[in-house]
Amino acid sequence: MTNQIYHMVTILLAVLLLWVVAWNLRSVRTRQGLLLLASYLFYSTWGIEFLAVLITSSLINFGLGALLRRRPMIAYLWLGIGCNLLFLGFFKYLPPILGSPWTVSWEPDFLRYVVMPVGISFWTFQALSYLFDVYREEEINPSLLEFCLYMAFWPTVLSGPVSRLPDMLPQFRKTPVFSRDNLSIGALRIIQGLFMKLILAQLLGTGLTTGGGITAGFDQMRSGWGGVDVWLLAMGFGLQLFLDFAGYSHLVIGTARLFGIDVTENFSRPFLSATPSIFWTRWHMSLSFWIRDYVFVPLAAARRERWWPYLVFVISMTLFGLWHAAKLTFICWGFYHGLLLVAHRLGQQAKRQFGIKPPNFIGFLLAWAATFASISLGWIFFRANDLHEAFTMFRTVLSPAAYQHLAMPSSFYVLIPSLLVAYFAYEGLRTLLSRLQLRTVEVVSPAPPMMLRQGGLESSLTVLAAELCEFFAQRMWWWLTPVMFVLTLFASLAISNQSSVLTVTPFMYAIF
Amino acid sequence: MNDTKNNDLSQQMIDYIAREVIRRPGVEITEDTPLVSSGIIDSLALVNILLQLEDVMGMRIPASKVRPKDMDTVALMLATGRRMGKPRK
Repeated sequence: MTNQIYHMVTILLAVLLLWVVAWNLRSVRTRQGLLLLASYLFYSTWGIEFLAVLITSSLINFGLGALLRRRPMIAYLWLGIGCNLLFLGFFKYLPPILGSPWTVSWEPDFLRYVVMPVGISFWTFQALSYLFDVYREEEINPSLLEFCLYMAFWPTVLSGPVSRLPDMLPQFRKTPVFSRDNLSIGALRIIQGLFMKLILAQLLGTGLTTGGGITAGFDQMRSGWGGVDVWLLAMGFGLQLFLDFAGYSHLVIGTARLFGIDVTENFSRPFLSATPSIFWTRWHMSLSFWIRDYVFVPLAAARRERWWPYLVFVISMTLFGLWHAAKLTFICWGFYHGLLLVAHRLGQQAKRQFGIKPPNFIGFLLAWAATFASISLGWIFFRANDLHEAFTMFRTVLSPAAYQHLAMPSSFYVLIPSLLVAYFAYEGLRTLLSRLQLRTVEVVSPAPPMMLRQGGLESSLTVLAAELCEFFAQRMWWWLTPVMFVLTLFASLAISNQSSVLTVTPFMYAIF
Repeated sequence: MNDTKNNDLSQQMIDYIAREVIRRPGVEITEDTPLVSSGIIDSLALVNILLQLEDVMGMRIPASKVRPKDMDTVALMLATGRRMGKPRK
């Protein structure tokens, strides 16, 4: 804990120093050089050998990109894909395979010391997207310095979002202009991210009392759950992962914004999705769009049989799962989502065929509930320690007798439903406010002063409502702050009352 | 002549998208309606539209070369087909 705090404070001070210097540099190249140096220094704090791997990958991919630009041949693209997969396979997938019980004893000893460089899955996919884009003759011509900065850009190097060079390059090249908007939006997103990640996700993981959180539910119980326990663990873990990873993404996006750089968004209210396919346009967007653009579309358009795109859905999503780690649970999670996407398409077809048209609101509610439930159940694969645990949990969910007992501490049944309700209440309020804002702006925008003078009481009230909506919507983080403060206080008190929860859960996506 | 052919191709694509993808009476699209960036079409629809574009233009379009932004509007789809399409064997 002390080491983590020391690390965080050092990084914060370094960021502050870098921020002051970077804004005072007029030369774009010098600024790029400074940002690259800072990125390499930042990355090397995780291990100097990791930095060597990152630099090697950057150089190889830059060379392959130059080759592809000269002659955009499919053979060069395959060479690039092969190199990157080999790299990823050696550092990410080989160590766990060597550690598995099936491993034979003939492999050289040095392989047992291979350690996965942090963030390798993220920056390798960035390198691959660069090669695909060059092959597609996208007009991008980065210098070596710019390409290395793209690969190592310090806010995104550890855990994404997975950026694309056509989005980043123009931003690396523009002359920095200091803006108060960048500063305020960046700072607000950092605060929001810290709150989501360090308070809410942490609270869900550790619980209000010892053994009353998601971590204990998955790691200490291993069997004996009731049906309600499994549902709450699954939904609670989904929310915990969202708060942790979306919170981290806010931190990254906010930090980059402080330097005037817009990084791609990663989440957009995923739990409000009414279909699995909508969910995948809102959850870990930078990776799901990557899979869509570079795996699904090219592969699905390769054959014309009706069943082929469905098979490609399953293949793409299984790859998505495998991207996380070489573990059967992640592969099953991806496969499960592939099946969900296929089931959704087949369901849509059946609905059209039989002319089923439920009333709009009820239809939406049913679709949302089915999507939320099926996606929540999928988290069991994602979080379970092994397949045996996952299938035991699924059996519990399907067994009516399991709903007659509860196995978790009572605080668990307060914490998880409260945070789920709070999350949906917050999202509902946010949606309502933006809709009200949009509606009132539409009504008022033609001539607000005239309305005030001529329209009487009703118009005046509309203008007042519009202004109030705008005021609250734009300052959401200000009026939400007191609520957060109370929640923070509540969480801090809960955490300080127990010694077992003082171990901070590490950032979940750092392991990928 | 070219303009007439172009308009015809464009209308065929618009009709297909309205009939098979959007499927909502009253929703109209034009040559310049953003489809991918606005979220109107999803990944499977994108693939189906790409295959339909091949049929309408009578060409083979290498999917590995197509970027989603090349398929954002009907006008862009036709331009992509003309740029990347190869005669069918």
